[in-house]
Amino acid sequence: MLRSVLRVASLRVSSPSSAMAMKSGAIVGSRMIHYSMSNRTPGAQFQKLQPIRFYSAAASNLSKDDVLTRVKDVIKTFNKNTDAEKISLETAFNKDLGLDSLDTVELLVAVEEEFEIEIPDKIADDLKTVGETVEYILSNPESN
Amino acid sequence: MAAAPSKTQILSLYRQLIKNSKQFTNYNFREYFLRKSRLEFKQNMLQQDPVKVNELVSKANEELAVLKRQAIVSQLYTFDKTVVEPLDTHHKKH
Repeated sequence: MLRSVLRVASLRVSSPSSAMAMKSGAIVGSRMIHYSMSNRTPGAQFQKLQPIRFYSAAASNLSKDDVLTRVKDVIKTFNKNTDAEKISLETAFNKDLGLDSLDTVELLVAVEEEFEIEIPDKIADDLKTVGETVEYILSNPESN
Repeated sequence: MAAAPSKTQILSLYRQLIKNSKQFTNYNFREYFLRKSRLEFKQNMLQQDPVKVNELVSKANEELAVLKRQAIVSQLYTFDKTVVEPLDTHHKKH
């Protein structure tokens, strides 16, 4: 997950000495050295840089209904004979949809693609119903 | 001789084969490997003989290695979409 937060805030040069200017310049880059050299007045302040957040840290805001509808769509694409109306949270892959263990694996790979997540092997082996799958998707912060 | 692999291990192997097959950019290669993986696993689903199972698993492991490599090689080249492929899913992903 890429959550980069730029924390170059309130950089301040209180001393006009070139040693200090070099020190702060070394951290930020050569351009900063140039800037501090030309501003030798005591107490010169750099413009305050606001922190920038590139990626939202908020948890995914998927609703349970949305997830269920999308899982239903995936199942429908996977097995054209399935009646999407009959799929509910209680639907079991094996008993109700007639999928064997290999089909279930394939279906879960399709679900992974739809929500752009990776379901670890151990969890994937335990997902037996639509409801369990929906719950897992909701609990995964990376799903979208 | 090594014990027969567990169901979990076999399912994990199958999962990896499917995932890697889907990496192919070329429709024909992708569908071929998906079809082949499905067919071979389904055909041998009821295989009970541990010696045979071991043989099949080691063969599948070798093929998985080839598949991983070739999937990457396939991504280095661009292929035109075939007419049977839906365009919208492609646009959504890129």
